[in-house]
Amino acid sequence: MRELLPISLLGGILGLDVVTFPQSMISRPLVAGTVAGAFVGDATTGVLVGATLELIALATLPFGASRYPEWGSSAVVGGAIAAALHTGRAGALTIGVLAALATAWVSGWSLVKLRQWNAWLARRKRPALDAGARGTVIGLQLAGLTADFVRAALLTAIAYGLLFPVAHATVGVWSFGDHVSRAVVVTISGAVAAAAAWTIFHSARHARWYFAAGLAGGLLLLFAR
Amino acid sequence: MSVAAAPRAAPVPSPAPRLSPWTWVTIFTRMLAVQGSWNYETLIGNGIGFCVEPALRALPGGVHGDAFKAAMVRESTYFNAHPYLAAVAVGALARAELSGVPAERIERFRIALCGPLGSVGDQLVWAGWLPFCSLVSLVAFGLGARPLVVVLTFLALYNAGHLALRAWGLHVGWTRGLGVASALGNPVFRRGPAHVARAAAAAAGFAIPLTAARVVDGSASLLALVLGSLGVVAVLLVRLHGRVEGWKLSLVLIALFALISVAR
Amino acid sequence: MTIVLNRIDDRLIHGQVVVGWGQPLDVKFIVLVDDAVAESDWEQELYRMGVPPEMEVRFHSAEGAVAHLDGYRTEARPGILVTGDIATMRYLVQHGGVRDVNIGGIHHRAGRTQHLRYVFLTPEEQAALRDLAAHGAVVTAQDVPAARAVPLEELLTVREDA
Repeated sequence: MRELLPISLLGGILGLDVVTFPQSMISRPLVAGTVAGAFVGDATTGVLVGATLELIALATLPFGASRYPEWGSSAVVGGAIAAALHTGRAGALTIGVLAALATAWVSGWSLVKLRQWNAWLARRKRPALDAGARGTVIGLQLAGLTADFVRAALLTAIAYGLLFPVAHATVGVWSFGDHVSRAVVVTISGAVAAAAAWTIFHSARHARWYFAAGLAGGLLLLFAR
Repeated sequence: MSVAAAPRAAPVPSPAPRLSPWTWVTIFTRMLAVQGSWNYETLIGNGIGFCVEPALRALPGGVHGDAFKAAMVRESTYFNAHPYLAAVAVGALARAELSGVPAERIERFRIALCGPLGSVGDQLVWAGWLPFCSLVSLVAFGLGARPLVVVLTFLALYNAGHLALRAWGLHVGWTRGLGVASALGNPVFRRGPAHVARAAAAAAGFAIPLTAARVVDGSASLLALVLGSLGVVAVLLVRLHGRVEGWKLSLVLIALFALISVAR
Repeated sequence: MTIVLNRIDDRLIHGQVVVGWGQPLDVKFIVLVDDAVAESDWEQELYRMGVPPEMEVRFHSAEGAVAHLDGYRTEARPGILVTGDIATMRYLVQHGGVRDVNIGGIHHRAGRTQHLRYVFLTPEEQAALRDLAAHGAVVTAQDVPAARAVPLEELLTVREDA
């Protein structure tokens, strides 16, 4: 568990990127999972988890007040767990993705709580805001940023600390083969991605033909290799 | 029914005051944290006040003047927009405040700007540029690129668009002021989302089988089974018209699979 | 097809409407009913910029909309009707035959209390919503399609801390 502190700090930074700062999408699962895997010493496993989660994340459109998963810290948890378990072990990828999704559930809830806390703080500062106090406006912004970092880092620490032992034990009694396990996970994540792509893009004129052309190209490339 | 509280005529741009380069750097940097205090009451309202504040210091009387304080109150109230295109609002509102536009007109403009900036940004970025960049990077992954290459492909491509959009937004908001609506008629916003959607659809067709193949890393027959099953499940999901969240469904199905694997 | 969603949302046309509902429901037109916007060319221009070119936006005052609603209901293409407040929707329920009402966003203002993340109501607005139901409208709150539709009675009972 030596990696707990750096992983938590990484989760804090990447969790912060999701909404508050700087939204450069270093929090996308593809990035977060890979970087977390690299932190634990296995970027290859990290990118496998990251790519699988990225397929699922395609369906998440982060509209303003709607509730959505916070992928930054959750992909860090999933990538780090899978990398620490090692990709060669059957079930490691599956467990890493599952840990990330479970964390994403809690992280989405934690974002709601953070937003409620921000509102509570702003209500307390209402007299100063109504007087046009610049220090209060800046202070609220900095308080929100700090709280979000702490939220994401704590969430990562707790999720990793709790889920890694469970993941380790689960992989020890995993009964399906590695390829089958990966096949099941990527079937689910790929289906979510394909449905998301259809939902998001189908209204653009001829988009279905572009999709079909891309699919034909991808399949040709696969079977030519 | 809603009440028209302000003049309904088209806003007219007024002469632009000058701001120092340092002020612009400060505003741009603050824009990266515009959602820092996002909450369910004022949404990104406080963030808009936070970003506009360096410009408002140029008002008569400086930060201790009545004009500054009144503008801070106005600019820190409820606001909602896509975070990148909020730059348009920040530029336009800074210009309006420094040009002495009447308060009620600024308030009406602020309200009217929320929806379009949210809608355009969501179409172009969340439902366009982001999935496109993500899918292009998955193509790189599926073609066997190393982890660092996959990550850098995504970050470089995405942030070229992201940072350009924020910088453009701030510039166009400042130069056009309350007349910024016409800037949203830019072909990038009108036709761009459809072009990006088509490119992303093609990338999705390419990326999904290639990504599946690299993750499975198994026999051709297993991969064929995966792609066939994937297609069937995807069609079922589409028929639900977005009523089921993909990540929740994935969580339930993968958890079930894990339980079976452990229990059998 | 017809008008597939009658929505109350103080942001009028924005991402949740155009992308969140518009894409899965394949929406081709939006009817924006708001007295102030119906009189303001520059605001109409702004809202037109907020939708894709292939999606049509039609602007009406509450009174003006009533005459067109039957026509919209027989359109072959699916559409969304949006009002910025409860009073406008109540007018359409009473005079325009609207029967299903979706509350998509009524945000914080002095005097309102929070019921959901995206719904804040004054006592008068609560009464107005009950009045919608009394006129036979089925009222639910739901911000995006994947969220649960919260029935009116539950909405008015629940209180959340912002």
